[in-house]
Amino acid sequence: MNRISCQERLLPGRTLRQKWDFAVRAGYGAIELCGREDLRERLPELREAARSGVVMPTVHAGAPRTHGPEARRDAVARVRTQLSVIAELGGTGVITPAFPPQPGGDGDGAASQDDLDDLAELGAHAADEGVTLFLAPLNRYEHPRVNRLEQAVALVRALGLDSVRVAAGTFHMNIEEADPAAAVLAAAPWLGHVHVSDSNRRPPGAGHLDWPALLGALDAAGYDGDLVVEGAPAGEPEEALAAVPGFLRRALPARGRPAS
Amino acid sequence: MSSSAILEGVRPDAADLVGLRRAAARVLLGNWTGSSTVPSRTLYPHQWSWDSAFVALGLRHLSPRRAQRELESLLGAQWDDGRLPHIVFDAATPEGAYFPGPDFWRAGPFPGVRTSGIVQPPVHAFAVWEVFRADPAEAERRGFLARAYPRLAAWHRYLRTRRDLGGHGLAAIVHPWESGMDNSPCWDGPLARVDPVPPSRFRRRDLDHAAPGDRPTDLDYGRYVRLAAHYRDHGYDDASAPHAFAVEDPAFNALLALSELALARIAAAVGADPAPHRRRADEVVAALLDRLWDASSGLFLCRDLRGGGLIREHGVTGLVPLAVPGLPVAADLLRTACGARFGLGRVHMVPSYDLTGPAFDPARYWRGPSWFNIGRLVHLGLLEHGAAERAAALRRSMLRAAARSRFAEYVDPLTGEGHGATGFAWTAATVLDLIAHDPPKVDEVGQNS
Repeated sequence: MNRISCQERLLPGRTLRQKWDFAVRAGYGAIELCGREDLRERLPELREAARSGVVMPTVHAGAPRTHGPEARRDAVARVRTQLSVIAELGGTGVITPAFPPQPGGDGDGAASQDDLDDLAELGAHAADEGVTLFLAPLNRYEHPRVNRLEQAVALVRALGLDSVRVAAGTFHMNIEEADPAAAVLAAAPWLGHVHVSDSNRRPPGAGHLDWPALLGALDAAGYDGDLVVEGAPAGEPEEALAAVPGFLRRALPARGRPAS
Repeated sequence: MSSSAILEGVRPDAADLVGLRRAAARVLLGNWTGSSTVPSRTLYPHQWSWDSAFVALGLRHLSPRRAQRELESLLGAQWDDGRLPHIVFDAATPEGAYFPGPDFWRAGPFPGVRTSGIVQPPVHAFAVWEVFRADPAEAERRGFLARAYPRLAAWHRYLRTRRDLGGHGLAAIVHPWESGMDNSPCWDGPLARVDPVPPSRFRRRDLDHAAPGDRPTDLDYGRYVRLAAHYRDHGYDDASAPHAFAVEDPAFNALLALSELALARIAAAVGADPAPHRRRADEVVAALLDRLWDASSGLFLCRDLRGGGLIREHGVTGLVPLAVPGLPVAADLLRTACGARFGLGRVHMVPSYDLTGPAFDPARYWRGPSWFNIGRLVHLGLLEHGAAERAAALRRSMLRAAARSRFAEYVDPLTGEGHGATGFAWTAATVLDLIAHDPPKVDEVGQNS
C-alpha cells in the first residue's frame, strides 16, 4: 500500500515533532524534508526527531534561486550534502529537478553535457550512500528542458545508474502530459517517487485532476512508493491537509478487503 | 503497449486478482484515446458503439470521468434521426486502416465527424445509469445524466419507430453487424438471399491482423458489403431502403428493454417522467415473448421478416433476455443455458452458438467462441434470477479465460484458447467490472499490500 507523505513546510507546527503529530493524526505516514536550508546545520534537530519516531525518508532539494556556473556548483554541493544526510537518517533519497533551471528554454528535452555531468556525479554519490536521486520534470514555466516524464526517463537511461530514478509530479504532468495516466504507465520501470498536488497546486481534491485515473495508473504500473503532498503554498488550511490521506485512499483502487 | 507487456507479472490462474486487475487497467489506459477507447490498437482503431458501452462498465471503476466521456463522445456522434452509429471514425487514423472505412460509408451527423450508417445493440442507457452509479457526485457536477437523457430518449425513439419494420413493437436489424454478433449462423438463412460483392471489389483489412480461420469468410464479407452499400445508396433511410435483410433479434431487443428500464431511472433522476420508459420496457418484453420465444427449445429465436418465420438456429442471442428483470421464462432459459446447447459450467464461459448445432465452429468469431460481453450479460441474468452459484462459477471461468488469453477478443469454449485481438478493451473492462463486483479478499490475493 502506498504510504502518504507530506512536505515539511506545509504541515502546521513549529517543530518537526509537532508537525509529525499533526501528520499522524491526519493519516500521513512520513514527512518529506525541505532542502532549502543547509541540512548539515539541522542535523542535531533531525537526529532528535528521528529518535522520537518522526519518519523522514526523503528530501525535496528545491530549485536554486540564482543561475550561472557558480550557482550550479553550489546546487550540486547542496544535493550531495542532502544525499549524505538522508542516508545517515536511514532515508531513501533526494528529489531534484535537472538543474539549474534556466528561463526561456524550448522544452525540447535535450540534456546538456552539464546536466549529464551533474547527474552522473550525484548519482554516483547517491549509490555510495545507498540512497537514490529522484529526477523531477517540472512544467515549462519552471524548467526549460525537462518537462515530461519521457524526457526524465531519457536522462536516466542515458546515465545508466540504478541510483537515479524519475519523480513524477501530478501538477506538472497536468500541464505537460497529453495523457498523464498513459505517461505514468510508459515511465513505470523508471518511476521511483511521486509528488501529488491538484490542478491548481493545492492539495489533492482541491482542484479538478482525474485522481482515480492517475492513481489507477500508478497502481496498474505497480508503483508502491510514497505519494507526497507537495507544492501548495504554505498556510494551506489545516482541514484541507488533514483531508488528503482519506481522499487519496478513497481514490486509490481497492487493495482487497480484510477477509471476514 | 505490447501484448506481452500487458500481462507481465500476472499468474495465469486468475487467483492473482490484484495482478489481473492491474493488467486490465493497463489495457484500458493503453487503449484510451483522450475521449474514448479503441477496442484494439491493431484490429479496431476507431470507436464502436456497443464496445463503448461495455468498456464504460469497466472504466467506471478506473475513472468515472473517463467512463462518462466514453459514452458522451459516442452520444456526441448521434444523427438527427436519433440513431447512434455503430462506428465513429477517428479522424487521425488513415482511411486504409479499417474496411469498410469512412469513404465507404460516406456518413456522419455533421461535417468533421464521420461514422458508419448502421447501429449496434442499445446497451447505452444501461451503461449510462451504471456509470452514473459509480460516482453520482462527479456525474452531477458534470451534468452527465441531464445531457445524456434526451439523446438516449431520441435513440430509443428511433429504434421504436423507424426500426419497427415488422410492426409488432420490436426493433429490426437491417445488417448482421447491427446484432454485434456479425457472422452468427442465425444470419446464414437470411444472408443466403443476398448477392455477394465479389472479393476482388474490396480489400478486407481484418485479415491483416487476425487469422482467416478466426474471421468471417470472404463470401460472407461480400454479402455484408452488398447490404451496407444498398442501405447507403438509399441514404440510410429506413422507410425507402428495401432492406433485403430484416431480422428481429432477441439480444438487441432484450438490451432495449433493459435500457428502457435504466432510462426510467435516469428520467426520474433528471426530473422527467419515468412511466413511459417502464411501459415501453414492458411492451418490448411482451413482444419478445409473443414474437421470438420458442417453447420447444426453451430459447428465444430470431425472426426473419423477409423469409418469414422463426430462424431455427440456436444462438446465444436467445439467452441474453435472461438479463431482463422479471422475465417470465427465466427458469426455462436457465435450463437451456445449462443444457447441451450452451453447456454452462462445463465449457469455458458461454458459447456464442449451439454446441450441438451443425454450424458450430469453436474458433470462428460468432459461430461458437465465447465472448466476454455476452458472458457478463448472462452473469447479470444468473444473478437476477437467483442462480448465484452458477454466476460465481461463470465469473471464475471468465477471469481465468481473460488471464490465460491476455485479454483476448474471444475464446474457444472447448479449450479456453484465445482468438482474435489481444489487449481487447471490453475483455479488460469486463474483468474490472467482475472484480469490482466481488473485490479480492486478503486470503484470495495473498500479499495484500
